[in-house]
Amino acid sequence: MKMYTKSPVIVMELPEKLTYAEGQTLMVELQPLLEADRPRIVLDCSKVEHMDSAGIEILLRCMEEAMKRDGDLKLAAVSPTSAAIMELMRVDRLFEVFDTSDEAARSFHAVAVPEAPQDLPWYSAGYGLTNLKSA
Amino acid sequence: MGLGAIVVMGAEQESFCSTTAGTTAGGALSGQPVSCVEVLGRTVIERTIERLLRAEVEEISIVVAKEISHLVQPFSSGLDKLRVRVVSDTACAVADTLRNYAERDIEHSFLMSANSYSETDLLDLFYFHKEARQTATRAKDCEGFLDFWVVNCANAAQENVAELLFSTKSNAVSYFVREYVSRLNHPRDLRKLASDMLRGVCSSRPSGKEIKPGIWVGEGAEIHRRARIVAPAYVGRGSKVKEDTLITRCSNIERGCHVDAGTVVEDSSVLPNTHIGIWLDVCHSVANGNKLLSLERDVVVTISDPSVMRFNGSARKEALQSLSSSRVKEKKQIAADSRNETPAPEPWQLGANPIQG
Repeated sequence: MKMYTKSPVIVMELPEKLTYAEGQTLMVELQPLLEADRPRIVLDCSKVEHMDSAGIEILLRCMEEAMKRDGDLKLAAVSPTSAAIMELMRVDRLFEVFDTSDEAARSFHAVAVPEAPQDLPWYSAGYGLTNLKSA
Repeated sequence: MGLGAIVVMGAEQESFCSTTAGTTAGGALSGQPVSCVEVLGRTVIERTIERLLRAEVEEISIVVAKEISHLVQPFSSGLDKLRVRVVSDTACAVADTLRNYAERDIEHSFLMSANSYSETDLLDLFYFHKEARQTATRAKDCEGFLDFWVVNCANAAQENVAELLFSTKSNAVSYFVREYVSRLNHPRDLRKLASDMLRGVCSSRPSGKEIKPGIWVGEGAEIHRRARIVAPAYVGRGSKVKEDTLITRCSNIERGCHVDAGTVVEDSSVLPNTHIGIWLDVCHSVANGNKLLSLERDVVVTISDPSVMRFNGSARKEALQSLSSSRVKEKKQIAADSRNETPAPEPWQLGANPIQG
């Protein structure tokens, strides 16, 4: 399996087939990465042509491990076939899915912080307490 | 003056399977012609035969191309008026049938492809054709011509049938169909047909009993009391719908299916003898055994895990039964053939020796 880093994100290309056997190999390779502090992993699914329930279970286990350590696992370039299987098994909404691995890697850097409105006093900014002063 | 009908099953399926989209989508039906797939309890071809019988057609000839003959299910209705022929050349078989009709004083015949479903008023079409005084009248709708004609048998038998049917003579009058038409080019059309029947868009109704407004259930279907079925929906005969399932948005579960606990079937068709496992989401799809055609993504997914999706036991039983019945038929045929043949005299038989006289 091909792997490269877009610091601090690790991008890994999944094999053509993701069944129980391939899933075990994937798990062995990912284990040290998942044990790091705040693992940020992107799995590139562009080559995946066949996936079964065991493969999906491995993906879920990896995501669970990553989340335990305050990290995340995101998927990129999921083929329509894999997307259909994920939808059937109700896991499509558990993963964040991106069109490309670059987009997925970028998503780890982007932290959306809502801008505080400038014309409001400091004690009401962003907390929906605009009428606090008058009250 | 009589009225016949010829329904052709063959060439259309080939072209359907040869297109790229067709190949991917066709795989979902395991190569079965769309017209032979059950929709709300009955196949499209059965519904067509019933419509023809209601129009008091004297004889219906089903011309089946050799390549797909093994996929065609036996017909149950109108057997006395039905003649099924398996042929290698459908065009020749159509010409032969028209000639045969002409010889037997069947003056006009409907000629249609099995791969389209139309609810046109057949008698109105027939009288239109008679008034037009032409050899063949082709039907069309707002999307173009349909593979549906009325033919004058005697005249057509003397001409090249293919040329006659597909010629675009400027003076030829065509019949405009205002009623419901479905061309069934893609399994997606099956889904649409099921949805239209359930919503009452077309006049054909689901088979089975309407247990609540918009919910049809076939004989022997078992629905768990904790299963939720939102109308309109259909559960075919002998199907089992387990607890906490949700069948919604014009979904149809055909005969002999099992939908296991907690599964949601939404805007989908589950074809006969399919087992759907627990806690799944079958949305905007056509499920057939271990194959799932996602209509949104236009891909066919083969599920290798039998606990997720598979053909259930009754499919295997049916296949075995049909295999054994075909073997019995073959044996009977062989026995009948051997009886018809003049037996060669055995050497010990009296009279076998010409000298014995």
